[in-house]
Amino acid sequence: MIVQPRLTDFKIIGLYCGKIIIGLGLLMIVPLIVSLAFGEWNPAIDFLVGIGVCLAIGLFTEAFCQTTRDLTWAHGLLVASFSWILATAIGAIPHWLSGHFGSYIDAMFDIMSGLSTTGLFLLQDLDHISNGLNMWRHLLTYAGGQGIIVIALTFLIRGTAGAYKVYVGEGKDERLLPNVIQTARAIWLISLTYLVIGSISLWAVGMNLGQSPVKAFFHAVWVFMGAWSTGGFAPQSYNILYYHSLMFEVICAVIFILGSFNFALHWAVWTGKKSEIRKNIEIISFFVTMTVAMLITTSGLVKLGVYPNVLSVFRKMFFQVASGHTTTGFSTIYSRTFIVQWGPLAMLGVTLAMAIGASACSTGGGFKGIRMGLIFKSIRQAVRRLISPESAYVVQKWHHITTRILDEPTTYSVMMIVIFYIMTYAVGTIVGVFYGYEPVQALFESVSAGSNTGLSCGVTSPAMPVLMKIVYIIEMWAGRLEFMSLFALGGYIMALFRGR
Amino acid sequence: MIRLKHIPEILLTLGFSAFLVCPMMGTQIPAQGSAAQSGQTVEPSTASVPTEVTSSKLVEEANKWNGHKIIFIGEAIGEDMVRGEKCWIHLNEDAYMWKNIEEGAKLGGYNSGHAIWVDADLVKKITYYGDYLHEGDIVKVIGTFNSVCREHGGDMDIHADTLEIVRIGHPIEHIINSKRALLGGVLLIVAGILFWVRRIAILRRT
Repeated sequence: MIVQPRLTDFKIIGLYCGKIIIGLGLLMIVPLIVSLAFGEWNPAIDFLVGIGVCLAIGLFTEAFCQTTRDLTWAHGLLVASFSWILATAIGAIPHWLSGHFGSYIDAMFDIMSGLSTTGLFLLQDLDHISNGLNMWRHLLTYAGGQGIIVIALTFLIRGTAGAYKVYVGEGKDERLLPNVIQTARAIWLISLTYLVIGSISLWAVGMNLGQSPVKAFFHAVWVFMGAWSTGGFAPQSYNILYYHSLMFEVICAVIFILGSFNFALHWAVWTGKKSEIRKNIEIISFFVTMTVAMLITTSGLVKLGVYPNVLSVFRKMFFQVASGHTTTGFSTIYSRTFIVQWGPLAMLGVTLAMAIGASACSTGGGFKGIRMGLIFKSIRQAVRRLISPESAYVVQKWHHITTRILDEPTTYSVMMIVIFYIMTYAVGTIVGVFYGYEPVQALFESVSAGSNTGLSCGVTSPAMPVLMKIVYIIEMWAGRLEFMSLFALGGYIMALFRGR
Repeated sequence: MIRLKHIPEILLTLGFSAFLVCPMMGTQIPAQGSAAQSGQTVEPSTASVPTEVTSSKLVEEANKWNGHKIIFIGEAIGEDMVRGEKCWIHLNEDAYMWKNIEEGAKLGGYNSGHAIWVDADLVKKITYYGDYLHEGDIVKVIGTFNSVCREHGGDMDIHADTLEIVRIGHPIEHIINSKRALLGGVLLIVAGILFWVRRIAILRRT
């Protein structure tokens, strides 16, 4: 029997969504300050309007949804999925007011892309936008990388037993510390430490490349945010190609590879368990699948003779594949270069890398390294069972922070999530082909959206059909929240109408 | 099973195979996509006279234009990045090169342009670079287009021999949107009232 939601259920969901929207409004203070510092008065007003709307809606829902009941699992998942929709709709206000978007859907596309750390964008005339708006784009992706719920848990939600349920709803399930609030703070501690180190490194290199100190500083912070969160936004339309520097590319690659690793792995290394780097299933899986993707891409480039020497083949191939595999979306080539120069085989190599994606409980998307590792282990276990005597009990171990035995429920849940990802990629591809794009291009772009990568071969554009924009928004949302929260939302809507 | 210790060997094999296969390269890639065929037909000049080319043509027909002398005109954006005696600048040849969105231009898609490698002395002619506060100078360069530049790690760029200013840019005058500022103020007052309503609701609950 489906139970119809009651008023108290709506109150709980409203209360927590309100807190998250207030958090989003408070986040807008940062770009507001940047706009004021640069004398960008109209963008400052846009952020003031955005803050006003966020606070008004957030405080209203909090005021009228007061309840002492704690969250259940269903509430947690619903808060996660619904707050992301609200954050996308309201966070788009400064974008829309900037005048750089063709429609409100376009502005929402960029917000979902930022929050889900995808990096695809529909903003037009990026090279003439204000510093405030650029700060907002990158801050969104940085906040989205850690998770907007993680922000709320860190600053706005006091310890409740139900907090863990909202945290899980956002696609993270690792507890770095026994308490989920402490876990959220630990995630921020890791991210802010790297923010300082990474930004200083990029700032120094930027000044050495000929940028002015102020410009180099802001570019460094923004590029760091884009890299660490595996978001892929950059302050100029040329993306990382703008800097023309091997050193800059190397630092970016180091940051986005680190950003793509599991926060639990970071925490283990921080707390002295260095052997984890060697033993962790996700690290091993990442290096194996990265090597396979690099081989395929290199074969494609070499076959077509795209680059004149080994160094440039390796430099371009490695950056694009690593950017794809970590689901960052930074690029050192033009979008259309994938089609007009790289060709289908190299594109398939990058597509494979994007589809697999980063680590679980990281800032990245895709199937996740842990699932690829577990699929490989379960295949190995199945083969070993086939060649062993019938009475033999085949045990397959795997290591992630602790060593565990692979059981059927784990294999089942891993397979289920991977199948959902494949279905998401397929839907986007079919819609792309329906609108007349070549299958390889439609697949590339759909995987990029669904895995929250952001590399583009030129399909994504402001002129793209509205349905494709909506499909990509849903892909980004589904990919980031890893489906369960979406199913909970769907089930809840169904219960509204069919429940008793 | 592949272990972490095997990774250097795999990478070495990968690099070695690329090294072996690279000398066999040379196949030209046909330009694909409808955009490659669209628009006016401009062919690379066989004589030493450079041809004016658009940004999208250079991307879509990169191999065709590789190594040719071209004329490229666009708005200088961002900043110059001086590297010794040379310098990188970026010229945007797009819907916003003469008038950008901040000045009231209609939306016209993404930015599009090319990186220019040029003598640092020539760059001193540029007064304004396009950003939120400025419309950049319109700059004309004549130089060699590289679809994959050997000197710059395979980047697509233009090595310019000459640089001249077609139009000097200017600061953009932004008129403050007072109605929107008023709306922001009202929303903040509403939020302030709701803050107190929320406090009362919390006190009642406890």
